[in-house]
Amino acid sequence: MSNTEFNGSSGQEVSPTPLFDMEALPENVYCEAFSGKAQPRSHWQPILNALNGKDLAELRQHHERVRHMRHEDGATINPFDDSTRRTTSWALDMIPLPISEEEWTGIEGGVIQRALLLEKVLADTYGPQALLKNGSIPSELVFANPNFLHSCHGIQPSGNRFLTFYAVDLYRGFDGRFRVLRDYASNPAGIGYALENRIVMSRVFSELYHKTQIRRLAPFFQTFHRALIQRASLRKEDPGIVLFSPGPDSRIYYEHALLSRYLGYPLVEGQDLTVRNGKVFLKKLAGLEPVEAIFRHIPDLSSDPFALRSETANGVAGLIQVCREQNIDIVNPIGSGFVDTPILKTFLPLLCQQLLGTELLLENHPAWWCGNSDGLNQAIAQLHQLTVGPAMDTSAVVDQSADLMAKIRTNPSGYMISAPVIPSLAPTWDLGGASQCYNVVRVFACATEKGFSVMPGGLAITAGDVETLKTGSPEQQQSKDIWVLSDNPIEPFSMMNGFHTVAEFKRSNDLPSRVADNFLWLGRYLERAEGLIRLLRAVYLRLSGEDRLEEIPELPFLLNILRTKNIIPKNSATESKHLFYRELVEYLRDALYRKDRPESVVFILQRVQETTRNVRDRLSTDSSRAINRLEDFGNNPSSDPLELLDKTLFTLSAFSGLAMESMTRGLGWRFLDMGRRVERALNLAILIRIGLPEICSNSRNTLQSLLEVSDSLMTYRARYKSTFQLAPVLDLLLADESNPKSLAFQFSKLASHVEHLPRQNKRRFFCAEERIALKMLTTVRLLDLTELECGENSPQNEMLATFLTSMEALLKDFTMEISGHYLSRVPATPHYAMISGEPAV
Amino acid sequence: MKYRIIHNTSYKYSAPASLSQNELLLHPRSTPYQEVLECQLSIVPKPQYLHCRTDYFGNTVHVFMVQHPHNELAMSATSIVTTSRPLLLVPDATVPHERVAQRLAEHKQPIELEASQFVFASPLVTINTMATAYARLSFPPGMPVLKGAIDLMQRIFTEFAYDKTASTVDTTVEQVLIKRKGVCQDFAHLAVSGLRGLGLAARYVSGYMETIPPPGKPKLVGADASHAWFSVFVPDFGWVDLDPTNNLIVNERYITVAWGRDYGDVAPVKGVVMGGGAHILSVMVDVAAQESRQQQQQQQQ
Repeated sequence: MSNTEFNGSSGQEVSPTPLFDMEALPENVYCEAFSGKAQPRSHWQPILNALNGKDLAELRQHHERVRHMRHEDGATINPFDDSTRRTTSWALDMIPLPISEEEWTGIEGGVIQRALLLEKVLADTYGPQALLKNGSIPSELVFANPNFLHSCHGIQPSGNRFLTFYAVDLYRGFDGRFRVLRDYASNPAGIGYALENRIVMSRVFSELYHKTQIRRLAPFFQTFHRALIQRASLRKEDPGIVLFSPGPDSRIYYEHALLSRYLGYPLVEGQDLTVRNGKVFLKKLAGLEPVEAIFRHIPDLSSDPFALRSETANGVAGLIQVCREQNIDIVNPIGSGFVDTPILKTFLPLLCQQLLGTELLLENHPAWWCGNSDGLNQAIAQLHQLTVGPAMDTSAVVDQSADLMAKIRTNPSGYMISAPVIPSLAPTWDLGGASQCYNVVRVFACATEKGFSVMPGGLAITAGDVETLKTGSPEQQQSKDIWVLSDNPIEPFSMMNGFHTVAEFKRSNDLPSRVADNFLWLGRYLERAEGLIRLLRAVYLRLSGEDRLEEIPELPFLLNILRTKNIIPKNSATESKHLFYRELVEYLRDALYRKDRPESVVFILQRVQETTRNVRDRLSTDSSRAINRLEDFGNNPSSDPLELLDKTLFTLSAFSGLAMESMTRGLGWRFLDMGRRVERALNLAILIRIGLPEICSNSRNTLQSLLEVSDSLMTYRARYKSTFQLAPVLDLLLADESNPKSLAFQFSKLASHVEHLPRQNKRRFFCAEERIALKMLTTVRLLDLTELECGENSPQNEMLATFLTSMEALLKDFTMEISGHYLSRVPATPHYAMISGEPAV
Repeated sequence: MKYRIIHNTSYKYSAPASLSQNELLLHPRSTPYQEVLECQLSIVPKPQYLHCRTDYFGNTVHVFMVQHPHNELAMSATSIVTTSRPLLLVPDATVPHERVAQRLAEHKQPIELEASQFVFASPLVTINTMATAYARLSFPPGMPVLKGAIDLMQRIFTEFAYDKTASTVDTTVEQVLIKRKGVCQDFAHLAVSGLRGLGLAARYVSGYMETIPPPGKPKLVGADASHAWFSVFVPDFGWVDLDPTNNLIVNERYITVAWGRDYGDVAPVKGVVMGGGAHILSVMVDVAAQESRQQQQQQQQ
C-alpha cells in the first residue's frame, strides 16, 4: 500500500485545506485517527484541530524545528563517522499518537500482568525449573535455547527480582484490539528516545501540549530510580549506580548518553569497570569506586565474555561471578533474555492460568511452534500464507526464499510460524503534507516494591511498510511520541529537573580513567595537528612565492624538519641541493592526504575525531559541531592547500577554544591540557634540536621560520623590534615563561597540573611524575642562554643539544608515569586466553 | 584402583599481568564407580579471591582472581581417587535406538528429562547432516543403542588418525570429519554430534586415564595428560562411557573429572588476563596408581 493513497493533500499548497481530508479509508486496516470518512475519533480531535488550523508552511517550519532539535541534541548515530553514513535512529514524526485514558488502562493492566507472569517464568527457569519438570514448557525451550544461560542458573538476583525492566511491542489489529508482537528483557531499547521525543514535542507544540491533558513521563523515571535504590538498599546520597553502554559504536548510543544525563548515572563502558573480590568497581583516577547497581544497555550474551565465552570487548569479565555473590543489582539480571525467546509467548496463555490463576489479558499475535505437531501441520498446510521465523534465537535470520519446509523438517523446534501482521495506520507528517504510516507501540514497565509500574507513554515505532516495521533497524524506522490522555488535570512535574543534576560531577572531582586517557590523547592529537599544519603551511607559503626553490634560504631547514619527522621521505630528491618542484609537491600532498600514513594531516585529524567521539558526552555541543567540520578535510584534494590549511587551523583553534572554554576546570580539562602541553613541548624541543645546525649556518631567515613554525613570530617582533638573533630567539622559545609557546611555559603548566591530580600520598614531590615535572621546570629555568652564538662545534651548542635531548627523554618519562599511575594503559581489549591442557592419550 | 592425580598448569607472561581471572574444573566428580578421597588445590601467587560452586551439570568449579601484578601463575590440583569397574551391560540387550530417541523426546521419567538436555546442539557441537550420516551407519533400524554406540566408537578409532597437530580448541566437527584426524576432544565431539543427530543423548566427559608403560620400561612421570571421551544414555540403566581414542569401554583405569554438553562446559582451565603480553603455557599431568597391580591382585585373592 503506498502512502500517497491516503494522502489527500499532498503537494497542494492551498491552505487552509484540512490536512486530513481523507479520500478513502484503507480496508482491513485499523485507522488510529478516523473511524470513517471524515469522522475523526474523539481522542484525536484536539491534535487534528491544532494541525488543521495551521497552514502547510507553518507545519513545515514545525517539522524543521523538530528535526533540528533532535539533531542538535545529538540524536544521530555516530556523528563523527563518515558523513555519508550519518543517519538518525527513530527520527521523530511531529504528529503524536494519542491513546485515550480508557484504552490505556487496558494496556497498562495487561502489561503489568504480563510482566508479573514473565518474572515468575524467569524465577522458575533460573531456579527450581518446575515448569520444565511438569511439562508446562517444552524441554527445548530451556535446553535448545541460546537465551537460557546455564551459568546464570541458581543465581538469586537482588531483591529476588528476576525482571526489573521490561518492554513490549504491541500492535493494533483491524478489530481495534492490541496484540503482543514481541517481549524484551535482555536489553530493552527505546525508552531514551521516548524521553527525547517528549522533550522535543513539549517544546515545539508547547501550547497544544499544555492545553491537552497528557500524562507526564518523568514520574516513571523517578519510580524506576527509587525502586532500584530501595531494592539494592543503596545509600541514597551517593548511590553507586552506573549506566553500562557498549559505547559510541552502538546505534543508539545517544539514548545511553541521554539516560545517563537524565538519571544521573555515570555512563560507563566495559573498560571502565573491573571486578575485584567478587565486586564491581569503576576505574577512576583517584582509584576504584564501588558499583552497587548497573543499568545495563548491553545484551545478555555480551555482558560477561569470561563466563559466557563470547568474544566481545564490550562486557565485563567476571560480572556473572559478582551476581553469584549477590554483590550487584543489574537491571535486568543477566539471563533475563529468556523472555525475548520468540516462541515463549505462545505458552503464556496456559502459564498465566497456571501461575497467576487468571486469563492472559493481552492477546498474542497468532503464532505456532513447529516443535509440536499442531504447529508443524499448520506450517505444512499454510506455509505460503504464514511467516517463518526463528523460535529460539532472536538473532537468527530466516531466509524466506529458501526451501523452508525442508529446513523446518530438519529442526522443527527451531522454527515458528506467524500470521501476517497488519498493524494500524496513523497519520504521519510527510514533507508534502500528511500521509499514513504503520505503527507499533513499545511500552515500558519497571519493577516497583509492589509489582510493576508502566510508563504512561512510550515509543510509537512507525514505518511506511510492514516489513520495515517488523524487521528494520532503528535508522530505517521513524517514531512518534505517545500521548496518553487523561480525563483529570495533570499535576505539573518538571521534565527538566533531571537534566540539571549531573550527579557525577557534583559528587566528586573524579573521572573514569578511560575518559581521562581519551582527553590526554585528544590534547596531544590536537596539538600535533596544529604543529604539523603550521609546519606545512610555512613550506607551502614559500613554494607559492616567486623565488626559485634554490633561492629560498630557509627551505632546507624546513624540509630537514619534515624529513626528520618522517613526514616526507628521506631520499636524494629532497636532500639534494637542486630541488625538484614537482616531486616536492607530491610529497607534500602525501603529507596532507595519505590516510595510511600516521604522520599525515588527515590521519592525525582522524585521531582527533575518534578521541573526541569517545568523550563526546563531556564536551559542549558547539565544540562537537566544530569538530564535524574536520570531516571535509581530504574530501576535496583539489582545493588550494594553503587555504585548506588555514581553514583547518582555524577550525582546530575554534574547537580548542570552545572545548576549553566550556569545560569546568576539572580533571578532564587537566588531562586535555596536559596532553597539549606535553606534545607542544616535545614538538618544540625537536624543532630546535634539529634546526640548530641549520640555524647557525643561515641565521636570519631560518630564525624567522623557526619562530613562525613555533607560532612566536608576533611575540618576538613585539618584544625585540629588532633583527633576528640567536640568543633572544632561543630565550623566547625556551626560557620565557610568559610566552605561552615556550618550553618553560609548558613545563610550568605541567607542574601545576600534576599538583592537582588525585593521589594517595599527601607528601609533595612524592610521585615520579611530580618530580619529573619539577626537574624539567627547574632545568629550563636555570638554562643559561647568554653569550649563545653560532659557531662550529661551539660548546654552548652542544650544551643546548644535550639539554634538549634530555628534555625529550624526560617528557616521555613523564607521560609514561602519568599513564602508569592514572590511566593504566594495559591493552584496551583484554586478552582472553582460553586454553586447556591439551587432551592427548 | 586408587590413584593420585597431579594436574599442574602454569602461565609465564612476557610482561606483568595486572589481573588474572580463572575458572578451574579440576576437582573429580563422585560417581557410582568413583570416590574422591581428597582434592587439594594450590595456586601461586595466592589468589585474593577464591570461590567454589557446583555448576548446572553438577561439576565442581573453582573461580579465582589474582589481583596484583604477576609474571607467573601456577595452578596445581592433587586428587586421591578410588575407582571401580563399571557394571557391564550386554550391548545386544539394550533398547533399540529409535525407541531411545522416542523416550527422550517424551521424557516421561525425570531421569529421561535430565538426559534430554544432551540431545540438542550445543555451542561447540553442531548437529549436521554429515556427522549424523556418519553415525547412522552404526545404527541401522532396530540396532540396540549401546551396540550401535560401541560400533561408532570402534569406527572412529579405526577410521581416524590421532594427530596432535591437526587440532586446536576451536576445531569443528565438520573439520574433523573431512580431515579424518584429530585428538581425543575431536573424537568425543564427533561421536556426541552424531549420536545427538539421531535423537540420542550424549555428553562430553573430561578426565584422566592411567597410562601403562611398555613391558620392562619404568613409567615416566608427566607422560600423562588430561583426556576426554563421550557418554551415551541407555534408558533403564543410565550412562555408559566410551573412549573412541583408545577403543575402550571406560573402566577402572579412567578417572572422571567433569561432564557437560561439550568441551566448553568442562575446560579444565580457562582464564582471562589483563596485560601480560605474550604467554607460555605448560601443563603437566601425572596419574599414579597408589598400590601396585600385584598388591591389588593379592588383596583380591
